[in-house]
Amino acid sequence: MKILRLLWVFFRIGVMGELAYRLNFVVQLFQSLLELATALAGLAVIFAYTDKLGSWRPDEVVALVGVYFLVGGVIGLVIQPSMERFIDSVRQGTLDYTLTKPEDAQLLVSIQGVEIWKLIDIALGFGVLVVALGRLGERVGAWQAAAFAGMLLAGGAIVYSFWLILATCSFWFVRVENILIIFQSMYEAGRWPVSLYPGWLRFGLTFLVPVAFATTVPAEALTGRLNPQVVLGTVGLAAVMLVVSRLFWRAGIRHYSGASA
Amino acid sequence: MGISLPDSPIIHIHDLHKTYVVSEREAGIRAALQSLVHRRTERIKAVDGISFDLSGGEIVGFLGPNGAGKTTTLKMLSGLLHPTAGEVTVLGHVPWKREKPFLRKITLVMGQRNQLIWDIPVIDSFELNRAVYRIQASDYRRTLDELTQLLELGPLLRKPVRNLSLGERMKCEIAAALLHLPQVVFLDEPTIGLDVIMQRRIRGFIAEYNRRSGATVLLTSHYMADVEALCRRVVVIHLGRLLFDGDLSALVERFTAHKTIVVQLGDCRDDLSSYGEVVSCEEGYVTLRVPKAETARVTERLLADLPVIDLTVEDPPIEEVIERVFAQEAV
Amino acid sequence: MSALLDLYVQHFKTSLAAMLQYRASLVIWLIGHVLEPLIYLVVWSVVSNTRGGRVGGYTTGEFAAYFIVLMLVNHITYTWIMYEYEYRIRHGSLSFDLLRPVHPIHSDIADNVSSKLISLPGMLLAAVLLALLFRPTFHVVLWAVVAAIPALFLAFLLRFLVEWTLALAAFWTTRVSAINQMYFVALLFLSGQVAPLSLLPSPIQAVATALPFRWMVSFPVELLLGRLTPAKAMAGLAAQAVWVVLGLGLVKIVWRAGVRAYSAVGG
Repeated sequence: MKILRLLWVFFRIGVMGELAYRLNFVVQLFQSLLELATALAGLAVIFAYTDKLGSWRPDEVVALVGVYFLVGGVIGLVIQPSMERFIDSVRQGTLDYTLTKPEDAQLLVSIQGVEIWKLIDIALGFGVLVVALGRLGERVGAWQAAAFAGMLLAGGAIVYSFWLILATCSFWFVRVENILIIFQSMYEAGRWPVSLYPGWLRFGLTFLVPVAFATTVPAEALTGRLNPQVVLGTVGLAAVMLVVSRLFWRAGIRHYSGASA
Repeated sequence: MGISLPDSPIIHIHDLHKTYVVSEREAGIRAALQSLVHRRTERIKAVDGISFDLSGGEIVGFLGPNGAGKTTTLKMLSGLLHPTAGEVTVLGHVPWKREKPFLRKITLVMGQRNQLIWDIPVIDSFELNRAVYRIQASDYRRTLDELTQLLELGPLLRKPVRNLSLGERMKCEIAAALLHLPQVVFLDEPTIGLDVIMQRRIRGFIAEYNRRSGATVLLTSHYMADVEALCRRVVVIHLGRLLFDGDLSALVERFTAHKTIVVQLGDCRDDLSSYGEVVSCEEGYVTLRVPKAETARVTERLLADLPVIDLTVEDPPIEEVIERVFAQEAV
Repeated sequence: MSALLDLYVQHFKTSLAAMLQYRASLVIWLIGHVLEPLIYLVVWSVVSNTRGGRVGGYTTGEFAAYFIVLMLVNHITYTWIMYEYEYRIRHGSLSFDLLRPVHPIHSDIADNVSSKLISLPGMLLAAVLLALLFRPTFHVVLWAVVAAIPALFLAFLLRFLVEWTLALAAFWTTRVSAINQMYFVALLFLSGQVAPLSLLPSPIQAVATALPFRWMVSFPVELLLGRLTPAKAMAGLAAQAVWVVLGLGLVKIVWRAGVRAYSAVGG
């Protein structure tokens, strides 16, 4: 598919920019491992005093941490660098080049930045996930695995749409660079099951900044906590958000090119 | 859509308008609060009713001072901006619809802004364009070879863009923009900031590309040398309106009311102010400015009255002409 | 001395105006500063409730008090100076600071304090809201609250000096993010942000006490919560003072070395 081909081109470019620096790999690996160790150490402190957090067993929370790193890695791999680059290009005027290319501008803008070191985070997250599931001793059934994959995709779509909506604001407001940090600050909360938080915070982390859909919901799918209604609801929300973000994007482009509303 | 008859213009602009609505706001908290209640806006007419056509294969210079409306017009032609009113078609397409077949046939190069990716070798940015424009491998190779040869890109291709000098970067930017062999080329100040030699090279390249491909080129520039070298036809725009559209020589002809006579005498002792306005006298060369109609008569008198060693009649420099055009004076 | 004071007043005025421009960023930073203690507040409350209402020396209400006070103390003492210096050194704007006949740390302190003045209302509002939502249990010990004032001042100074010195690492390496990360991880655990220090294994508590981390954040929090005896409070203030003196010395040495390294490359 054309999208994949273009994504591969940008991927190669992302690799190209970094490969010259082998030391970078070592440093990035160190930093990712340190972040993982920090998260797990935090868990160790908590679970020294209890053997259940809410309804979550320790290894289930470890699995959640794995999902957190996995999804965080995907966001940091393409979504974040592309949106940052897009906001910058609006300010510098180089967005005009993207708009004169014969490809859908939203597509080009969404895959133009690739931060390949985030592959480390994805690998680590996946590794932690596998180890945690192993220790849980549960067999991951076909339904759970499918639900997990589905929730990862839906969660990814929801997070992408959210970032796109935030970034699209730069068509109207100039000083928008910091707006993306909103998600990154709130994403921290995704390391713990969202069900722990009081109702108002749960609401905020679900419907205002969709952190819950990024981490907790896929983890719940994997540990058999989801019912079909939530699964369908999440998929539905993902579809709606993709449409809404697309429409908002189109409105942004129209505004940028001075079309009368 | 997209089929243009051989006689119809490649670019057709009719009564084009672009008005911006800008909100005015002063600094300070009080003004910010005020603006919440009452928004003061100002309408700025960037383009105020211009019309002209371009035929296939023309290289046209688009002249005007800063803020004249050149870049705005270029953006409307390339589909980046919606006109407020008027008609525009390029290659039979309406630009702001941004149809993919249209975008594949045009290209835009902006002098101060780069489309090449900063950290990676030039050739990899080219590859990106190849994928985006869906250029066939054989066509791509052929075009790349030709551009490499014409622009002397050989040693540059494997270098990251950040390691190139300004001139080298510009050459690569232009090459990247032409890989898909567009039929219409929009150049917005392409030689700005370059040294004289590089400017000349790029000019030569554009002329050669136009000759080989028959592409239509619309070029905006501050540098008269660009326009003189490349464009037979110039369109002059000022305050959003067209001041002139025609041959460059006709521009000079129409907007100059004076000629310059340079007389070589032995020294600067004589006072020649009775013949015309004395602009300068250096080492025996006197420069006089006389009304066009009187040129022949003054020349006769000078030759008859004075021991003239040499005498030449010149047009005022084109920069001066253009400046006066903008100031709406006759030169 | 009066000249220094005058310098601060002037710096203060300009940085206040500058920080107002960054209001949006300050709000976004505020969200992060509220969210992190909030997360741990919730997590520890859950743990506490599972264990019948208390963990170690803390009831559920006392956890809420701990993290709300921690949030405020953290806000009073935090800096972003290491990002600032990385930027300045990379973009060469440090050269301007080096041309001035005053030490750049003064304007940095002024920037830091003025930004906090602007964001303080928001932070206090957050504290009040959290107090309403989580019903913390405060034990107000008057002398301890009074003693907390110099403790907070020393904590702010100490943390600023340490992080300022750390920021100068940018003179010698571009891998500043790795160094910063290591520092922040240490800070996270050893200054009591993940859990009250008394809940951590004793070796870790010992490390936190021996290093300046406890004295940067945890000590003022412990004081304000009334958890320290007068003797411990005095010892703590003394420890802070010692660390501040060490910090001042460190700043001097590292700054001189850093400037030498910077000028050697031509800035």
